[in-house]
Amino acid sequence: MATADGGAYSYSLTVFSPSGKLVQIEHALAAVAQGTTSLGIKASNGIVIATEKKSSSILIDDSMIEKVAVICPNIGIVYSGMGPDFRILVAKARKSAQAYWKIYGEYPPTRVLTQEIATVMQQATQSGGVRPYGVSLLVAGYDVHRGPSLYQVDPSGSFWAWKASAIGKNMINAKTFLEKRYNDDISLEDAIHTALLTLKEGFEGQMTEKTIEIGVITVPTTDELEVGKIGGETGRPKPTFRKLTEEEVRDYLAL
Amino acid sequence: MSQIWKYVRVTPSGGRVRGVPARSSTTSISLPGTPDHLSSQSTLILRFVMSIMEHNGGSVVAMAGKNCVAIACDLRLGAGAQTIATNFEKIFPVTDRMYLGLAGLASDVVTLREKFRYLTNMFLIKESRPLEPSTFAHLVSSTLYERRFGPYFCEPVLAGLERTPSGSYKPYIVGTDLIGCLNFAKDFIVTGTASDKLFGVAEGLWEPDLEPEDLFETISQTLMNAVDRDAYSGWGAVVHVITPDKVITRTLKGRMD
Amino acid sequence: MPNMSAIVHPQQRHFNPYAENGGTILAIAGADFTVIAGDTRQSEGYSIQTRYAPKVFRLTDRAVLAVNGFAADGNMFVKKVKQRLEWYKHAHAKDMPLRAIARLIQTMLYAQRFFPYYVYNILGGIEEDGSGAVYSFDPVGSYEREACRAAGAAQSLVQPFLDNQIYFKNQTAAPGRSHPSHLPLPDVLSIVVDSFTSATERHIEVGDGLEIYIVLAKGRSLQGVEGLHGLRELSTQEDGERVFVLQRDLKKD
Repeated sequence: MATADGGAYSYSLTVFSPSGKLVQIEHALAAVAQGTTSLGIKASNGIVIATEKKSSSILIDDSMIEKVAVICPNIGIVYSGMGPDFRILVAKARKSAQAYWKIYGEYPPTRVLTQEIATVMQQATQSGGVRPYGVSLLVAGYDVHRGPSLYQVDPSGSFWAWKASAIGKNMINAKTFLEKRYNDDISLEDAIHTALLTLKEGFEGQMTEKTIEIGVITVPTTDELEVGKIGGETGRPKPTFRKLTEEEVRDYLAL
Repeated sequence: MSQIWKYVRVTPSGGRVRGVPARSSTTSISLPGTPDHLSSQSTLILRFVMSIMEHNGGSVVAMAGKNCVAIACDLRLGAGAQTIATNFEKIFPVTDRMYLGLAGLASDVVTLREKFRYLTNMFLIKESRPLEPSTFAHLVSSTLYERRFGPYFCEPVLAGLERTPSGSYKPYIVGTDLIGCLNFAKDFIVTGTASDKLFGVAEGLWEPDLEPEDLFETISQTLMNAVDRDAYSGWGAVVHVITPDKVITRTLKGRMD
Repeated sequence: MPNMSAIVHPQQRHFNPYAENGGTILAIAGADFTVIAGDTRQSEGYSIQTRYAPKVFRLTDRAVLAVNGFAADGNMFVKKVKQRLEWYKHAHAKDMPLRAIARLIQTMLYAQRFFPYYVYNILGGIEEDGSGAVYSFDPVGSYEREACRAAGAAQSLVQPFLDNQIYFKNQTAAPGRSHPSHLPLPDVLSIVVDSFTSATERHIEVGDGLEIYIVLAKGRSLQGVEGLHGLRELSTQEDGERVFVLQRDLKKD
């Protein structure tokens, strides 16, 4: 049978082992564990997500590399694992956010977008002719109903909400570090410093604004929300997620 | 008026199918009623749409008050001039604080009511958060625009209270045309076969910041007096007044003719 | 195969002698007065031809005629009615009574039964018994006496409002009380102004200016017209019925 999808012989590459494991997913997680460390911390008035940006050669122009991505004005994500896979997911997530906007006239809540990405990643574990995505994601977002929220999505398509989490090469140590440092009423400023301190643990080489990327969610004030939502039929809502500029990162590193 | 529109081939130029000779070659004088410019193909399509919208009759009006909104409809269901039923409600609850009114072709009223029920339930289950009027208004708009070139013959009106970031409620009324163009109004929205009458009375009676009971009286008088001058609407009415803590629903008796 | 395009088909030429020039008129009868009003915009399609084209005319000291529809027909019709009233005056040495003018208008309209004046007429004034009266006509002369009537582009907007405010339709009087059968002049004037501002708001063919004619019964005091801004008297004598006109601005957009 010569169909476009390959017909009866295109069974999934992701098959259960006799012990009940999906080894392809385990391998994908291994790929994530080889990736550079990324982390996210939820503060009382915002969220920070950060990652180290390591290039294999000094000849690479690292201003081209983008590891923290804006999905829509209220959501940003960071990854550990395979860069190309991340790019695909970013494209899909952005498209999904815009499709949501087209229907509801507003951007998706963090949980809805996370679920959307997780569904895409899960489908790669059950479809024929594909392999799972080799990335774990940290999704940081803000919405009126749930406020700021931080999610982690794994190659299996499972996702959880975190107060703070780390993924990638140094995740075990980073999480232990975060567990010691975290408290519920940490401010965003403190959280950014904690994020940098956590990355510093096990950082290879010099930590500079060129080798660090940071994205933050800032919780809007009630007044700002009133302006953004009410009568916001024509105006655009003020973004709650933004990436820190190199200057801002340098300032945080200097402190 | 009462006839269902039948498709007649008319050429844009002559008002007759090409090749069929005119009965006489003398200059004819047409009386008003069917103006010249209405005999082109495109306006025939428009007239087709218009007559479908009027086939079953019915009207809906929504008004904003002080910390409350009201929405009301008549109860007639007709087939042209013939009245089929006098208990056809055109307003449906969406959430505790939001009602949707649908005036137009009755079968599409029912179809859209079911479609929006489905979409609302899916939203509430999927997103487990409240559905606010502004969100639902855009859902209505995009759902209708999806059928841009074969529309539902319905013009929805939405009335609800929108939760503000500071935790209070703000009156929210919106109407759309049959392809989903949103019309945000501060005062009132009208639709249906008595829409022009509703415009006139509402413009005369409505005033800003009406309390729930006064808003009820205003919307009721507006609807009743408008539908009494419309052959396709009437036979009683249903009025909902939505306040932050309750919805007051009343059925009005009006002229039964 | 003959060349089909060479065949010439008979073509019918079309001339439409009528136009619809928009605008709205309205009249309300009181116990001893009548108010007749009309906006002054004249339009054709989406174009405004003029912002001041009167649609309401004084016929006698006790009769005012408002005409709406095709402006050319309207003006010609008013001219002919005025001519007939002048002939009447020469023949009988008095002004024609209101109900006689109404019947005359019917006769004149029906005379054109098969090429009608494309106008809706509303005649307002004072009857011989001193009561306020409004007569409304269709283009071919059907008429009736009423307490109030709106006609023209915004008839559908104004008439249900008048039903509610003049006839108290859908309103129940307080227990032991009844609705008044006639409203006082100040109330009527504010309803007229409200009707036109509403119609102006929601109908593109209504606006620019408003002319309100007020006819007072013989011997009636000037109560209700005194002190009105810009009031002009049009009556020819002071001891009979009296006619006044008021002008107000309406939105021009």
